[in-house]
Amino acid sequence: MFRTALRIAWASLARRSSRSVLVVVMISMSLWGLLFMEGIYDGMTEQMISNAIRSDSGQLSLFAAGYREDPGLHRLIRRDGEIVALLDGDRRVKSYVRRLRQDGLAATAHYSRNVMIYGVDLAAEKRHGRLDSYLLEGEYAFGAKKRGVLIGARLAEKLKVKIGRKLIVSAQNSEHEVAAVALTITGIVRTNNMGLDESAVFIDMDRARELFMTPAGASQISVILQTEKDIPAVQAMLRHHFGILQTLRWDELYPALMQSRVMMKGFNLVMSLLIFGVAGLGIFGVMLVSVLERLREFGIMLAIGTSFAQVRGIIFTESFILGFTGFVAGSLLGGGTLLYFYHHGLDLTIFSEGLEEFGIDVITHAVIRAQYFITAFIAVMLATFVSVLLPLRLLKKSNPIEAINKV
Amino acid sequence: MFFKIAVRNIFAYRKRSIITVLLLACTTALLVFATAYMDGSHARLIQSSVEIYPGYVQITHPGFRDNPSLENLIFDAAQVSASLKDFPGIAVFAPRFESYVLFSSAEKAVGGMFTGIEPEKEMKISRLAASLKQGSYLTSADNAMVYMGSELARRLKVGVGDQLAFVGTGADYSFAADTLTVKGIFQTGLFDFDSRASFVAKPYFDRMMAAKNYATHFIVQPERPVEAAALAVAIGRRLGPEYEAAGWQQTMAGLVQAMRVDSIFGYITLAIIFMVIFFVVMIYTLLVVYARVREIGILRAVGTGPGQIFAMLLLESVLLGLVSVLLGGLIGGVLAWYFHIHPIVFSGMEEQFKQYGLALTAMPTDFAPLVIMRDMAIMFVLSVSATLYPIFKVNRFRPIEAIHHV
Repeated sequence: MFRTALRIAWASLARRSSRSVLVVVMISMSLWGLLFMEGIYDGMTEQMISNAIRSDSGQLSLFAAGYREDPGLHRLIRRDGEIVALLDGDRRVKSYVRRLRQDGLAATAHYSRNVMIYGVDLAAEKRHGRLDSYLLEGEYAFGAKKRGVLIGARLAEKLKVKIGRKLIVSAQNSEHEVAAVALTITGIVRTNNMGLDESAVFIDMDRARELFMTPAGASQISVILQTEKDIPAVQAMLRHHFGILQTLRWDELYPALMQSRVMMKGFNLVMSLLIFGVAGLGIFGVMLVSVLERLREFGIMLAIGTSFAQVRGIIFTESFILGFTGFVAGSLLGGGTLLYFYHHGLDLTIFSEGLEEFGIDVITHAVIRAQYFITAFIAVMLATFVSVLLPLRLLKKSNPIEAINKV
Repeated sequence: MFFKIAVRNIFAYRKRSIITVLLLACTTALLVFATAYMDGSHARLIQSSVEIYPGYVQITHPGFRDNPSLENLIFDAAQVSASLKDFPGIAVFAPRFESYVLFSSAEKAVGGMFTGIEPEKEMKISRLAASLKQGSYLTSADNAMVYMGSELARRLKVGVGDQLAFVGTGADYSFAADTLTVKGIFQTGLFDFDSRASFVAKPYFDRMMAAKNYATHFIVQPERPVEAAALAVAIGRRLGPEYEAAGWQQTMAGLVQAMRVDSIFGYITLAIIFMVIFFVVMIYTLLVVYARVREIGILRAVGTGPGQIFAMLLLESVLLGLVSVLLGGLIGGVLAWYFHIHPIVFSGMEEQFKQYGLALTAMPTDFAPLVIMRDMAIMFVLSVSATLYPIFKVNRFRPIEAIHHV
C-alpha cells in the first residue's frame, strides 16, 4: 500500500511540477542560508573561545588565593611542583604551562605604554596553546641570550615598534623596587584575545624571575584537557587536592564568551523556528490548494472503497516528499558550503580593522555540527506535518458525493 | 478599469491576500525596526565612545597619528589656540599632553596613561568630570593632584587622599618623577580606560614633564557634532600642512568599521529571512494565478492582450505590496519611534558589553523617516519582484490551452 501511496503522491507532485519545485527550492534555500549562518556565526564564537583558551586561560587555570582580586607577586602559587606532578600523572590532561605575570611599563625611546609582563617558556607555550601559530612578524624565540621579547600586535602598533627595536620593560619586583630590563623585540603576536594583543609582553621565564626577583612559584598554571567533557571532573579533583588555590574554568574567567555561546544557541533556535515557520506557510499553501483542487479525485477514491487513512497517507507522503527533498538538497548545499568554509575559511580581511575590535579572526572557519542537521530535519518534518493538518481536516469534513458531482 | 479588476481580484482571493499582506507587513516591520535598532545602537555606541574621552575632532602634528613620538608633538600650542579662537562651528577646544608613566604606590607599581589637561575646558569636551566617583574633579590650580580611573586606583590600592609616585620621561627626554596625591577617582564604565587613565592639571604637568606650550593633541568640540568631519577639514585648511585635523571617523576608524561589520551580519541574517518570505510570496502568487488560468484563457480568447493581462496581475501585486509595506512601515516606524524615546535596556549584559569596551547598556533606536521609507521601498520592490515569475509563467499559456487547463 505504501508503494501505491508513494506513486500517487509522486504523480500528483509531478503534475504540478512548478509549484513542487518552488517549494523544494524554498526549503533548500532556507536551509542553506540557515546552515551557512549557524556555521559561520558559531565559527566566530568558537574561534574567540579557542583563542582565549589557547592564549590565556586554558580550559582550567589555577591561581593563588585572592590573586584574581588582587594580582601581584605576593600572591604566587608556591606548590607548583606538586601541581605539575599531579597533572603529569593524569591522562585527562593534554598540556599545561606555568606563567609569571606582573604589571609594568614598556617604553621605547619615544613612547611608553602600560603592559602586562608574562614570564613564559616558549616551548611549553607552543605545545600548550600553539602560541607560535599567532606569530605575525619576526620569529618565535627569545634569542640565544634570552634578551628577546614577543609583544601583542596592538601594543606594537601603539608603541610604533618593529622587529629588532629595543624595548625597556620595567616593573615592580618582589622587593617593591622598580626594576627594568632592556630587551629586543623578536616577534609580534596577534592572538585576537584583545587583552593580550593590547598589553602582553612575553619574556623568557628565567629573565622574568630575575627581573621580578622571584626564584620560584607561578602566577598562573593554565591547563588544557584531552576532551572538554572532563573539565568539571578535573576541576573538582584540583579543588580537592589544592583547595586553597583558585581553580577556575575558562568560562569563569571569560564569562562574556560563554554568554556569547549561549546567546548564539538561542539565536540559532529562534532563527530556525522563524525560518521554518515561514517556510511551513509556503508548504501549507501548496498542500491546501493541492487537496482542495483534488477533492473530486479524493471523493471518487473514497467512493470506491479507499479508506480515509489511505488518502491521508497519500497526502502525508506528498508533503513528506516535498519536505525531505528540500531537506536533502538544502543539507547538501549548506553542508557543502560549510565544508568549504571549514577547510578554507571565510576571508573577511577587508573588514579586518572592525573585526579586530570584536576580537574576531579575519579568517573565520565554519563549524559543522550534526545538531544543525538534526534540528533542521525536525523543523522541516514538523513544518510538513503541521502544514497538512488543516487541508486534511477540510477533506474529512467534505462530502465525497458532493465532491464527485462538483464540476 | 484594470484598477477595478485588480481590487476585485484581491478581495475575491481574500485568504491569499490576507496571508500575503500579513507576511509582507511583518517583514517590512521587522526590517524597519531592525535597521532602526542597528543604526540607533551603533550611533549610541560611537557617541558614547567618542564623548567619554577621544573627542569629535583631534588636531595633531601630521606625523603623530602614525608615529606618536616626542618628535611629533605640537610645539606651539599657543599658536594653535590662537588659530582656533573664534573659528566658526567650534564650541570649545583644549590641548592635552598624553604620556605613559610607571605609578608606584606603597604596595604596587602599575604602568598607566598620565595626561595633562585643562580641567575647566575638559568638562565641556569629555565626560571625565561627569564620571567622578569619589573625591573631587581637578582645577587648573591643582598642584601634584591626580584624578585617576577607578580600576587603576584599585590595582594600585590607593584611595582619595593617598599618595603615590610616578616615574616617566619628560618632553625633553629628561627623567621625570614626583609624588602625587589622589584628588578624585572616576569611573566611565570603559574598563580599559578606567584601568589605565589618570589626569593632572596641565600647568603642573608642563612643569614636571618639561612640556610648556607643548601638546600631543588638541580636542575640538563642534557646535554640531554631526558636522565633525566637515569641521575637521575646515580646521585643517586654516592650520595648514604643519598640523593635521581628523574627525572621529578617522581617529576611531576601527570602531566605525566594527559597527559596519555588525550591520553587515545583521543584514545577512535579515536577508535569509527575506529569501524565505520571497519564495512564500512567489508560491502564493503562483497558486492564485494558476487557479485563474481558465479565467485568463477566456479573457485572452475575447481579445484581451497578454500585455493587459500582465498589467492587471502586476497591478494586483503592486496594490498588495503597497498596502503591506505601508502597514509594515507604520508598525515598524511606531516601534522605532517608541524605542527611540524609551531606549531598550539590556540589563545583565554588562559583562559582554564590557568585553568590547562599551560603557552602556541602554540602546535607543534611530527614528529616521527617510531610512524607514528606503526600507519600505526595498520591501515593495522585493514583494513585486516575487510575483513576476508566476505572472510571466501564466501569461505564456495560449488561450485555448489556458481554457482547457485543469
